[in-house]
Order: sequence, then structure tokens, then C-alpha cells
Amino acid sequence: MNGVGLVLNFDTILVILAASLFGIFVGAVPGLTATMAVALLVPLTFYMDTIPAIAAIVTTSAMAIFAGDIPGTYLNIPGTPASAAYVGESHALAKKGRAREALGINLVCSVFGGIFGTIILIVVAQSLAEVALKFSAFEYFWLAVLGLSCSIFISVGSRTKAFLSLLFGVLLSTVGLDMMSGAPRFTFGVPDLMAGINFIPVMIGMFALNELMSYYGSKSEKKTISVVDKDSVFHNVPRHVKRYWRNMVRGSSIGTMIGALPGAGADIAAWISYGVGKGRSKDSSKYGTGNIEGIVDASSANNSGISGAWVPALVFGIPGDSITAIVIGVLYMKGMNPGPTIFMDGSGLIYALFIVFILANLMMLPIGYMAIRLSKLFILTPSRVLMPIILCFCIVGAFAINNSVVDIWLMLIVGLVAYLLAVNDFPMAPAILGLVLGSVVENNFMSAMLRTGGDLTSFFARPISAGLGIAVILLWCSPLLIKAYRYQKRKSERASA
Amino acid sequence: MRDVFAGIGFMIAGIVTIITAQQFPTLPSLQYGPSLFPSLVGGGFCIGGAVLTLNSLWQRRKAAAQEVQDDPTLATSPPEKMGWAMVLPPIAIVFYILASDYLGAMLTITIIMFLLMLLRKTKIYVALITSVVMSSAIYFIFSHYLLIPLPQGVLLGGSLPWIS
Repeated sequence: MNGVGLVLNFDTILVILAASLFGIFVGAVPGLTATMAVALLVPLTFYMDTIPAIAAIVTTSAMAIFAGDIPGTYLNIPGTPASAAYVGESHALAKKGRAREALGINLVCSVFGGIFGTIILIVVAQSLAEVALKFSAFEYFWLAVLGLSCSIFISVGSRTKAFLSLLFGVLLSTVGLDMMSGAPRFTFGVPDLMAGINFIPVMIGMFALNELMSYYGSKSEKKTISVVDKDSVFHNVPRHVKRYWRNMVRGSSIGTMIGALPGAGADIAAWISYGVGKGRSKDSSKYGTGNIEGIVDASSANNSGISGAWVPALVFGIPGDSITAIVIGVLYMKGMNPGPTIFMDGSGLIYALFIVFILANLMMLPIGYMAIRLSKLFILTPSRVLMPIILCFCIVGAFAINNSVVDIWLMLIVGLVAYLLAVNDFPMAPAILGLVLGSVVENNFMSAMLRTGGDLTSFFARPISAGLGIAVILLWCSPLLIKAYRYQKRKSERASA
Repeated sequence: MRDVFAGIGFMIAGIVTIITAQQFPTLPSLQYGPSLFPSLVGGGFCIGGAVLTLNSLWQRRKAAAQEVQDDPTLATSPPEKMGWAMVLPPIAIVFYILASDYLGAMLTITIIMFLLMLLRKTKIYVALITSVVMSSAIYFIFSHYLLIPLPQGVLLGGSLPWIS
């Protein structure tokens, strides 16, 4: 009951409403991602109470992921990377004059996926938290290592690049006074760096400045909408839901699971769910020509992934994607350490959070409907006007956290490095996970070693710790194991032939 | 080719990290000192960088050998284009850091917005109105609502109305 009171007050509702509009806008403008929306929001949430701050982030991310479908449908340009998997389908429908129908089913699937993911979050997180209560430094060490390893092995593209990107994040996490000896590391005599790298300027640099630089590095864009949309948004939705409800459930389940894995967010969830849907479909030949089925699978998956990412973030403090990585940073700033105790401290905060999730997803229906009707307004907003405003917001936002110019420099340097990495196809998600989890790994390692007098075997002495350790080792050996398996298979095939 | 440079860059960064980490003090009572994790990261940079470089060189050789066999004119890949304008945001940030103490935050961000909009061929009156309105809005939100002491600037002498 406590939680309801925390959410249902004028301020929080107002924040949710404003965040919805902000999220829809950022999501619907091509080139601005959901992560960027959240990174831009953080300087503002810094000055809010915990519940409105979290509500703003939850609402913004959910809305942005849906709204990414709008330019995808009209322009064939995904508004956020999470919509990339199925822009082909929705744009093909739009060309047939069914743009609003496509967006209508997108919207309903997004809402369904979001609520599905939230229910899983409510059910699973609570019971996981009871297990997590038994964890000590050994288990948290392995859990963080597992999270870091996942982010390498799940990432799309080169694993070497994901590995290097991760190490860049870990290196940033070592800046500041060492926990054990108090010795300054990589502070270069700058007093502001003693307490460690400030998280928010890094996020703004990595996700906003980096995108701004790619925008200015690219040729100027011309956005024109050539499709007609005279159809109705919700008219055909009941029919599609009745036909494809299994896809909605399957997409949402896949999305929640993928979202919960560290380093894999809504975009990967959508790709995988789309792939699974295509593989299992009866008429997979229709994929790519404007198939509602593909949209249903992937659109449920990306929104449920957003909710799923909160499971490990809340229970273990291990972010499931880059958005929850930011959230963990915000929680720490508010003096609230994510972990099992969050579920038991009786503050009602966790229930307030669940209510926010449900509320945000339900509000997506009316606000999303409005956004679909007004979509032209959003996607024709010229980037040339928008980008300079975002840049100035970044500068002032980075400064605002500590009222320090050092943070603006930090944003600039990290943004430059992130841009160089991104144009060379290095993924960014491992870097941000490295920054969040790097210190978790190091601090837990050091305190475990202090407790056991430097005995490395102690990491395998407790059952859960040993289990997690073996999981990490297996994950690292998996490419080798898969190779060996394929080699054996080929050998036996050749022998039989 | 870019991967080769990126790999070499990471290897250099790795060596610098390791050398810097060796200068961190160690405590005799601790088996693992503050230099452990930075050194591991440095080592990882070296290994990852080496793998990246060698992989890229190996693939280039393979691709070159194949292409020369197929069609010798295609052996060189076209250079990738990267717009020079990507330096604009960093320059704008440095300009803000240097100029905001004198011009004040509000005037500085107005100038940045206005110039960046014009560079991308926004109509001049649109650019002027948007940059003035938006910079006032940002300044107002941060200084009045969030109480951030944004630089007022010597030029205006603290004459802006909403800050005491």
C-alpha cells in the first residue's frame, strides 16, 4: 500500500506524463536512441526524488522503444536500434497504405510486451532476491564476471572488439582513489577525479556526444514521407491479436530473457525474436513483404526486453542493458544500493517501482495513439535544428552534476574515444557495463582476498560461488567447445560417407 | 586497414597503462595491490590489440590474394569517407569551456546553437528564434529550477533577472 502512495501523487504523475512525451519524441526522431534519451534525462533526475526519477527513466525508455517504430514505418529508418529488426516489414505495409494498421499492432504488442516483462520482473525478482541474500563477496565477484563475459559473447560482431570495448570501461572504473590502499590511480593530479570517474558525463559522452558527432560526420538528410495513411489505427488489431497471440507471448518471453542477460538489450531481443518467429512461421516466405507476424514477434520482444533488463539490475546490481546501467548509477547517487535488500527494507519503493512500470506501459496506449496520429510532426522535425539544442543540453547537463568544468572535459574526452570506437564497429554496451561492473569485480575480489589471506581457491570453496565460477569458465570455453563439436561431427560424417 | 591501427593503438595504450600501474604504491600486508586490475586491463589491451591487428592483416592478405586472382583492379578498396564536420560538436564544447566565463552560459549556448544551425543551412530567422528561445529555456530550467550556478559571465555582469 505504501508503494501506491509513493506513485499516485501529483508530482510523480506529472513527471510520468512529461517523460512519456519526451520519450515519444526522442524515439520518433531518427538518430536519437532510447539510451540517449535516458542519458539526457539523468542530469534532471539527479534533482528529483527517487520515485519520480526512476519513473521518468522507466517511462522514457518504454515510450522511446515504441516510438522508434514510427519513423521505421514511414521512412524505413528505425527511430531507435531496437526497431531495426522489423522496419522492412512495417515499411512494406506502409507502402501498401496500411501504415497506421502496422503502428497500431506495434503499439498493442509493445504494451503487451512491456506488461508481460513487468509481470515476470515482479514474480522472478522477488524470489531471486531471497537467493541473493545468501550471496557474499565471492558470489558477487563471479556474478559480475559472468555479466561482463555475457556482454562479450552476446554482442553482435567481433568479440575481440567487444572485449576491448569492455576493458576500456573497466579502465575508466579504476580511476580514483584505490579502495584498499587509498592510492590515487590515473587521476593526473586532478582533484575532481579522486572520487572516481563521474558516471553521468561518461554516459552523456558515450551515448549523446558520440551520436551528435556521427550526425555531423554524415551527409545532410532529407526526410520526405511519400506514403498515404488513411487507414484506422486500432480497427484490425483485435483480428491480428486473435490470430497471433502465441507470437506475442513467445516474443515477450524471448524478449524478457534476452533483456535479463547483461549486455543484451532491446535491440538484440528484437533481432532474435524476429529470427525465431521467421524460423517457426508457417508462411515464412511472406517475411520481408509486410508481414504482421514478424512485427508482432519483434515488437513484443523489444519492450519486454526493457522490463527484463531490470531483473538482474534490481536483484544483483548487474545491469541487463545500457539503460539499466544508467539506472544503477542513478540509484547509487541517490544512496540506494541495488541488491536483494531493496526488496526487504519495507520502504515500499520496490512496489512503487512495479506500479510505475505498469502505469507507464498502460499510458503508452493513449499517448502512443496520439503519437501515431501526429507522427508526421515528430519525424519531420529537422535534425539540423534539434542537434545543436541537444549539444547545448549535454554541455549544461554534464556541468550540472558537480558544477564542475572537469565533467565537461570528461564528457568531451569520453565522447571522442567512443566516437572513434563506434565508427570502427566497436560495440558500446560492453564499455558501459565495464564501467559499472569493473569496480564491483575489483572491490569484491579485494575484500574476498582480504578475508581469506589471498587464497585464490576460496573462489571455488562455496557451492553457489563454485557453480557460478564454472559457468564463467564454460562460457569462455564455449567457442572452443563448439568448434570441437563441429569438427567431431564433420569427422564422423566423413567417416560414414 | 583501420582495424590494424586500432589494434596498434590498443597495444600502445596497454603498455602505457601497465607502466603507469607499476608506479602505484604497494602495501606489504596486501597480496594484491592497487596495480593488479589496471595491469590486467593493460595486458588485455595488448592481447586484444594484437589479435585485432593480426586478424585484420591476415584477412587483408587473404582478400588481396583472392581479388588479385579474380580481378587485379579491385585489389585496393575505396577509401572510407568521414565528414570533417564531425569535429563541430567537440569544437563547440571547447568554445563553451573557454568562453562561458566571459560571455556567460546563456549567451555562449545561444551562439553555439545559432552557428551550428546555420552551418546546416537552417533559415536564418528560424535559427535565431529557436536558439534564443531554447537557450533561454535551458538556462532558466538549470539555473532557476535546479539552482545550478551556471556561469553568468563578466560581459553581462550578472544582470540576468532570475538569479540573485
